Amino acid sequence: MLAGSHSFSKPSHGPDVLGELLHSLSQPLTGLRCSLELSLDETAEQRHESVAVALHQTEQVIGMVQLMREYLDAEQAEPGAFSTALEPVIRGLVEDLSSIAAVRDVEVRLEGTCAATLPVRAGRLRLALQYLITTVIEAQPAGGRVKVVLTKEPAGTLVRVQSGRNSFLPERGATDIPATSASTLDRVRQAIASRVFENAGASLEFVEEDDTAIGFILRIPRQTAVGRPY
Amino acid sequence: MRILIVEDDAALSSFIKKGLEAEHHAVDVANEGNQGRSMAMELDYDLVVLDLNLPGVDGLSVLKSLRQRKANLPVMILTARSRVEDRVQCLDSGADDYLVKPFSFLELSARALLRRSHLPSESVLMVRDLCLDRVQRKVERSGRSIELTTKEFALLEYLMRNAGRRLTRAMIIEHVWNLTFDSTTNVVDVYINYLRRKVDDGFSPALIHTVRGVGYEMSPEGASA
Repeated sequence: MLAGSHSFSKPSHGPDVLGELLHSLSQPLTGLRCSLELSLDETAEQRHESVAVALHQTEQVIGMVQLMREYLDAEQAEPGAFSTALEPVIRGLVEDLSSIAAVRDVEVRLEGTCAATLPVRAGRLRLALQYLITTVIEAQPAGGRVKVVLTKEPAGTLVRVQSGRNSFLPERGATDIPATSASTLDRVRQAIASRVFENAGASLEFVEEDDTAIGFILRIPRQTAVGRPY
Repeated sequence: MRILIVEDDAALSSFIKKGLEAEHHAVDVANEGNQGRSMAMELDYDLVVLDLNLPGVDGLSVLKSLRQRKANLPVMILTARSRVEDRVQCLDSGADDYLVKPFSFLELSARALLRRSHLPSESVLMVRDLCLDRVQRKVERSGRSIELTTKEFALLEYLMRNAGRRLTRAMIIEHVWNLTFDSTTNVVDVYINYLRRKVDDGFSPALIHTVRGVGYEMSPEGASA
């Protein structure tokens, strides 16, 4: 290699390399998305559909890039001094998800109260819970039910998200991230949620009995400060 | 509006310029930080759209300079950094808004328009004969009262606030439901149908229109979008 035409810096590793790649990818993707959006207005009728499909697929790629970013962010989270009360976040989320579940003819209900706090930003806590509860909702057939139960226990707080037929016996059904019913994207979302809760000192168990009876149990110890602040 | 785009990616800045000009804004482009800072200081803009990662002087330095000389000039940051910490840093440095790449042009355009004025939020929104009272939480069309659920009310308010603008499903679900958009959900389409039944059925003209391949638009003209 001839000297003078390149600058060298310390090579990046692992998550840093991925982060840089995702950063670089976002620039052309923005151009592509904006270009396709503007083209929709200008395209003749017979090509409109194909531009719309191209835009939709671009948005799917963008969704994956955003998921990868979230995963990296969860992996690289630095200690912070946040404290978010769980119940208001979960209550607001369940209300928002209820209207979405209702479209699929699935009922979502919240039971119980808790005073638990987690050392995680409210937005990230909401996102992690959204990924988990949405997975359970989407596994339900029309007429299904999803129950989110908050329970105070001597060791801390338990959050159970269970579908209609889920008996929630962790000793029988607890697994790592479910591999059979979830799509790849769902599994990435669940991995992000796992990481967020793990960083916050909580533990997450996925429960899967069959395709529709899935759910999860989140255990938040009385002192979340024992976990790595997030 | 007169808008300055400070963005070093020539292809992207040209797409944004073209799109904003099609919406009747006057648009200038600067491709590096020093040039952008000079133009923003010397000329009179209603909005600066500022990329953070610029050659020469970086976007954050440009923003800090602008805040010292033009405290009231609205600045919208474009960045590929999505972490909450980055957002907080930008807003702390004086940015008015923050858009993460890869953003939608429609989102940029909608947010740019919101920066046009600092008028207080109106308590009553009107689109033709449709009236939404945000304080009393009442909706009427042609004087006839319309009952809406909480989500229907929020959706209608968002459509009316952006009347005349195309809104993507992602924008709607993020603003009305405060959820990350999942392209497989049809919740927006379903709720738009609920709204149409209540707001448009039996009235003329129809105000809620499908924008094929994009999403929806409330059109005050009543014309198909």
